[in-house]
Amino acid sequence: MALAKKSLISTALWRGVLSILLFLVLWELGSRSRHWLIQEEFEWMRNLLAMAGWEKKYLPWIGPIPAPSEVLKAWGGVIGDIGYWHSWYKSFSRVAGGFIAAMIIGIPFGLLLAVSRTAFGIGFPVFEVLRPIPPLAWVPASIIFWPTQELSITFVTFLGAFYTIVINVVGGAKSIDLRYFQAAQSMGSSSWDIFRRIILPGTLPSIMVGSAVGMGITWEVVVAAEMISGGGSQIGGTAGGGLGFFIWNSYVGGSYEQIVVGMISIGIAGFISSELLRSLGKYVTPWLRLR
Amino acid sequence: MLEILKKTMPFQVVSDTMLRRIAELGKRVAYDKAAIIYDAGDSAGDIYIILSGKVEHTLEPGVNARRPVQLLGAGDVFGWAALLEKFPHRLAKAVAIEPAEIVRINGDDLLRLLESDPDSGDVVMSRFATMITRDYTVPDLIAQMRAIHRKLHSSDIQGMNLTMYRLSLWLKSPRPYLMLIGFGLFLSFWYLAVEVWKLPRFREMPGLTVVIKEWLNPDPSYGLSIYTAEYYQHILVSIWRVTQAFVLASLLGVPLGLFLGWSRKFKEYVFPVFETLRPIPILAWVPLAIVMFISTESAVIYLTFLASFFATALNTMLGVESIDESYVRAAYCLGAKRHQVFRHIIIPGALPFIFTGLQISIGVSWFSLVAAEMVSGQYGLGYVINTSYTMVRYPTIVIGMITLGFVGYVTSAMVRILGDYLMQWRVRELALGGQ
Amino acid sequence: MSAIMQQAVPAGTAARGAIRIEDVVKIYDPGGAAVMAVDHCSLDIKAGEICMIVGPSGCGKTTLLNAIAGFHDITSGRILLDGELLCGADKPKAEPGSDRIVVFQNGALFPWKTNLDNVAFGPIMQGKLRPAEAKEKALSMMADAGLSGVEHNYPGEISSGMRRRVEIVRALMNDPKVLLLDEPYRALDSLTKSVMHEALLEIYYKNKVTIFFITHDLEEAIFLGHKVAIMTTRPCKPKKILEVDIPHPRDYSVLTSRRFRELIEETNEAVHEEALKAFAAGEKEG
Repeated sequence: MALAKKSLISTALWRGVLSILLFLVLWELGSRSRHWLIQEEFEWMRNLLAMAGWEKKYLPWIGPIPAPSEVLKAWGGVIGDIGYWHSWYKSFSRVAGGFIAAMIIGIPFGLLLAVSRTAFGIGFPVFEVLRPIPPLAWVPASIIFWPTQELSITFVTFLGAFYTIVINVVGGAKSIDLRYFQAAQSMGSSSWDIFRRIILPGTLPSIMVGSAVGMGITWEVVVAAEMISGGGSQIGGTAGGGLGFFIWNSYVGGSYEQIVVGMISIGIAGFISSELLRSLGKYVTPWLRLR
Repeated sequence: MLEILKKTMPFQVVSDTMLRRIAELGKRVAYDKAAIIYDAGDSAGDIYIILSGKVEHTLEPGVNARRPVQLLGAGDVFGWAALLEKFPHRLAKAVAIEPAEIVRINGDDLLRLLESDPDSGDVVMSRFATMITRDYTVPDLIAQMRAIHRKLHSSDIQGMNLTMYRLSLWLKSPRPYLMLIGFGLFLSFWYLAVEVWKLPRFREMPGLTVVIKEWLNPDPSYGLSIYTAEYYQHILVSIWRVTQAFVLASLLGVPLGLFLGWSRKFKEYVFPVFETLRPIPILAWVPLAIVMFISTESAVIYLTFLASFFATALNTMLGVESIDESYVRAAYCLGAKRHQVFRHIIIPGALPFIFTGLQISIGVSWFSLVAAEMVSGQYGLGYVINTSYTMVRYPTIVIGMITLGFVGYVTSAMVRILGDYLMQWRVRELALGGQ
Repeated sequence: MSAIMQQAVPAGTAARGAIRIEDVVKIYDPGGAAVMAVDHCSLDIKAGEICMIVGPSGCGKTTLLNAIAGFHDITSGRILLDGELLCGADKPKAEPGSDRIVVFQNGALFPWKTNLDNVAFGPIMQGKLRPAEAKEKALSMMADAGLSGVEHNYPGEISSGMRRRVEIVRALMNDPKVLLLDEPYRALDSLTKSVMHEALLEIYYKNKVTIFFITHDLEEAIFLGHKVAIMTTRPCKPKKILEVDIPHPRDYSVLTSRRFRELIEETNEAVHEEALKAFAAGEKEG
């Protein structure tokens, strides 16, 4: 029986590996279509595509994308480059800056809205009116307002995480079971105690949820802001402006393999920061670990 | 009297304020031993609650009660015919068999009071129904109790009245005034900081009056206001792009999510690829999208689509996985086939999550649309914001931002309304939950 | 006492719905740590009998019910319904079917369908009745069960006691041989529970269906059952099988009768012992 269960887990794993491999093979074949599609054997396919209105000598969509093997080669080329790692560092520090600012301002603000009806009545409607404006729409205004580009990118990053964190803090604090308050009051807790021992820990799980979502948005915003604003100081070489700029620069320079390298790098960076956040979350909410 | 009321079965769970109002309706009356409180056929005006003493309650033979004779003591309620329209006369005879003190409450007054607060009124009436079912089992009475029960509810669902009622409640609460204070503070800070005090850094920003003047100007100095056709053209282009991307993402994402949640094998094959691609920020796709698609238009739509697609598929999958196993089991028990379970259990069961996903999806599609339009594009609100920056038309940037916020809000409200429409069962459930 | 109750037929006369559980073993195996849930359990339930299964929470009663219903397989032994094999050596997992319908612990009325659509669900899915016919039958069955007036409400809008009744009517719509009830009244307050017991008996006297009823409430078990099987805590097997000799039809006067008290005393110790064992083993509620 034990064997059966174990082999079940590994089937899931094998299926996953198989599907990713299949995906890579299809991608490789698709992007190599500019080599094989022109050969005679595939004339039927060209005709088929021509009927659908596609006259080019490669497959639509996938054709212009560099193949995985080429991407790997390009990656090998930049991995020793200081500039490449410098863009990791740049993006990470911007994400961290904006994200930490969003936590420092967003959590107290959210708690204030949650505990005080007056603050909620005054602050929340304004917040709700500003929220639907996508963070990236703030980029130009932010560049005008802040003295340096670095600050303006950090500000937009901050906005991205700020909204989700506040919403989750307010929702989390409001959904705390009323009985906890009654229990605490019946045991003679002061309001400060109630705040510190019930509201704060009761809100922590939703703070962590909000942060996880906020972290995802933060990366989106950083990449976009780096692309739109031209990557800040360009003195530090081609990769001076973070991973978003690395991608944009590769595009401008016509190095398509490097675009994909940049995309994958950002994917990995985002994954790393979510994992860090998750282990932090587990550390601060030990009572949820059992579930 | 409050203490006794609190112990009586129908009023056990009512709030203290409500209880006090009920107690105000009551009159204390003392009865001697063997006094007839009422006889069958008398007209029924009051209901009675015993404070002390004993009362014998005998139902008429005609009403088919399970237990016609009951001996009632302190805390018992009788004379509930007073609450029922169909029974203007007493169905029973009530006699004090020892000296008794009794509270009388006028039935019509009580009903009116209960209707004024449907939430606790409902509890009281259903408790009455349970009491009558349990102690007397008179079928006609039960049917009528149900009718009243429904009547109390129906006031919930009569939309217009309820809206007016909520509106008047809202106006009576401090909330609208606090809201005005909030906006007042925000706008006056904007105005004062930029245009009056001219604080450093704020000086560079477009001021409140400048933006409003520009926005409402028939002849705008920077070319965009509510009077120019171009303004609406940009809005329409953005909406059209979001619509295409959103519809495409929903059409592909919802079925994909349903299958991912439904079939384990399918999930094991497809989900790893899905999860490999998902962490890549949508914006990182921008250059690749431009390379992949010949026209910028398709590239912009593709980017907008991508973000929506991931959100929709993921939430739909979570929705299917969150469906209580016993619904699926119950359906198999009742003889449903696999495809029927999918159609009758999986799809409706996942619907709340699907709509959460669609809400998120429409949000992120605006998010990525703006980015895509800022980077590449010849029209649309994102483009307006970006070019206004490069052409130094600062007030137009703010007009673009506000418009975006407004349009984004309206589209997501539309998705919510559609969801409520499709999930009547959920709306009604939430309405009962004291929302 | 109502007219229906007096027409009641004594147990065991219904021709169908006899369950035979022979030597059933079920071992759960999460990641290799074998957990024995049911240990060589044998039980005979006559057709048309109410069999109450009593045991502490988490003792493995539900596992047995799931095996009969066909929700999961058994490790060895076999289960027969009216002499036909449901599951056994060659076929470890029974097919779920409309001859054995489960009423779940927390209720499984589909919240997105009205009560009427819920009741009419079975025959429509099986293709036995056209939707219009099924709805008509559902309406009349609901009226019989005292559920008129809530047909077009959603389950979320009615009381939990009523929901249970709708669920039982939904099961009876399919004319099942066996009703499998998994602590259906657990979440109800004691007042509602007492109403529900009488309602269940009334339904039973009309339909004479075999009832396999899981509970941890001994009074409920003796009040309702022809037979009460007290189970040991994990692994689960019968510790004591009690034939309740109080004649059906019963009503609430039974609760105060001497015989009822005697039966409770007779079995109380066995139940308490198992409850202590379960508590010591630290079983989670569930």
